[in-house]
Amino acid sequence: MEFKARTVKAPTKKAPAREGAHQESARPGNRAPRGRNGQGLFGDPKIARNAMIEETLFLKNTETFAEAMVRCGVRYHFAYPITPASDVMKYSAVLLPKYGGRMIQMESELAVANALAGCACTGKLGATSTSGPGMSLMQETISFMAGAQLPCLMLDSMRVGPGDGDIIGAQSNYYQATRGGGHGDYRVIVLAPDSGQSVVDLMPEAVKLAYAYRTPVLFVMDGVTAQMTETSTFPEPHDYAADFDTSPWRYTGTKDHPKRFLLTGSYNHAQGYELNERLRKKFETIKEKEQRWEDEYLDDAELLLVGFGIHGRMIRELTAQLRSQNLKVGRIKPITLWPFPDRAFDKLSPSLKNVLVVEMNHGQMIDDVRLALNGRAPTHFLGKTGGDTPLRTLAEIKAKALELLGG
Amino acid sequence: MENAAENLSSLYGQTLYLDKLFSYCPGCGHGIVTRLVAETIEAMGIREKTVSVVGIGCGGFSHHYLDIDAIEAMHGRSPSVATGFKLASPENFVFTYQGDGDMGAIGLADLLHAANKGVPITCLMINNTVFGMTGGQMSPTSLPGQVTATTQKGRDTRLHGYPILVPEMMRAMPGVKYLARESVADAAAIRRSGKSLRRAFECQEKNLGFAFVEFIVPCPTGLKKSVREAYDWCKNEMVSYFKPGVFKDETE
Repeated sequence: MEFKARTVKAPTKKAPAREGAHQESARPGNRAPRGRNGQGLFGDPKIARNAMIEETLFLKNTETFAEAMVRCGVRYHFAYPITPASDVMKYSAVLLPKYGGRMIQMESELAVANALAGCACTGKLGATSTSGPGMSLMQETISFMAGAQLPCLMLDSMRVGPGDGDIIGAQSNYYQATRGGGHGDYRVIVLAPDSGQSVVDLMPEAVKLAYAYRTPVLFVMDGVTAQMTETSTFPEPHDYAADFDTSPWRYTGTKDHPKRFLLTGSYNHAQGYELNERLRKKFETIKEKEQRWEDEYLDDAELLLVGFGIHGRMIRELTAQLRSQNLKVGRIKPITLWPFPDRAFDKLSPSLKNVLVVEMNHGQMIDDVRLALNGRAPTHFLGKTGGDTPLRTLAEIKAKALELLGG
Repeated sequence: MENAAENLSSLYGQTLYLDKLFSYCPGCGHGIVTRLVAETIEAMGIREKTVSVVGIGCGGFSHHYLDIDAIEAMHGRSPSVATGFKLASPENFVFTYQGDGDMGAIGLADLLHAANKGVPITCLMINNTVFGMTGGQMSPTSLPGQVTATTQKGRDTRLHGYPILVPEMMRAMPGVKYLARESVADAAAIRRSGKSLRRAFECQEKNLGFAFVEFIVPCPTGLKKSVREAYDWCKNEMVSYFKPGVFKDETE
């Protein structure tokens, strides 16, 4: 690794084809940023990239994730190659230096998660992207970051499990994502986009949630959504992390504060209790205030369809189709998987007869749906994982829905 | 006593908490290394920008006696945490303080990759050949035949291999700019330890690359020896296997 002074080139107006899919707009007013010399890899990384404007790009959604996170303030991206998440690091490796940041490829997901934790200790926004086995390796440190109240962004581009599993997309990590995954009483905020545009739209929220609550925020995308290439419109870059004052808690030396130390263990039993109580209150607040979902036709639905990610997107289409045939279908698409949007289910009417949950796994989110329903209606499941296409087709979901409506 | 404290303050300044009792056991080598760290920080005037990343085990206590910011990392991960920290905040002085279990067992990969990357941080390994905090179990650095809580008949090299020589593994890495092994077996060795520590800290201040010092120290409690016996054992047994020396000094 080289630590010599290194000039970071300002992005040019012409799109450099070899530099990945990122396109620089050549529209008037897109001024070249004022570049400054960096001081090596561990030098001052402040490079202005203030010329970027609103842009519509045609990208794979993993690339969209990279573009969106950088536009929202991520400057340090730690990662280790794994399908189907590697495109995030490939893209950010090109993009981040233009913003004065850097993608660092570490030697394992253990190192990735811990470098991310170290970065978070400075108050600066870091991110990581991975898939199933990598996510499992990171769990100890995610528990650590939740306990230490460190903000960061993460992406689990979900593939088939268990074990080494398969590189093809799935929604196998719902339990791991929403139950904490690591040791201890903690949760992370989990966001489930269903398209490139929803990644872009959720990203500012994600940074705000991470910093407002000082906690890791995890995006989960089924590999189908993650690998899809589509059009997304990006707003002007804004560093949302910089809007938050981290000086009351960051660990950057005693120059401006008395000694601080990050402790997730306890030296007496009272400390362990206090830490857990503090976290419990925080997680309760998040559960109360931060549920997000999309719903339609709940007031007269006889059949409720529930799915997230790609299945949430398919169910939106199917609901429109069935409603056009005057069939009383409603839908809920959770956007936050934790906190699970159980308040959405309060809006259901007594007309409800059946609920169908569709997932790319053997039934994980269905547990949360059942808890939210609390026995109000029979809950059915449609889903699979593994194979060429772990996805249930629209025809299959439709057939099951019609069967339940007829029955 | 007040005068004594004042005299100590003139030596240690603000870095070492003079009014705090060590929770290290009597005779523990950590006390000496922690004091050396405080002296070096004070002498270099870097206290306010120093951040210590400590491991799990008795080494994790070290920052409790130092008026510096500190991060208690997960077991073995201090070099990775320090890497992420230094990347995001290169203006800080960052060192890790870890035991031989934390660094030589569970965290060896983190250490070697940080070293190989040449990350400009300073890593300190305090090697007492046992897992001290958990009750004197075998560590990767336990000597052949050494009786520990988990090797009641002595470390069997056929089963457990030989004690791991950590700095020797990093010799060939160009990113490593200062590499040494020292001990606290006697006063002369402690003085040499202080000098090495200063060089290793200066290496980072000059932004040259990775710096590492291993300290061979006794753990009377874990070794089930009296303080005197433990120091004799450190001087005779430990140091004859873990040979002190400066392996590399490219700080000029």
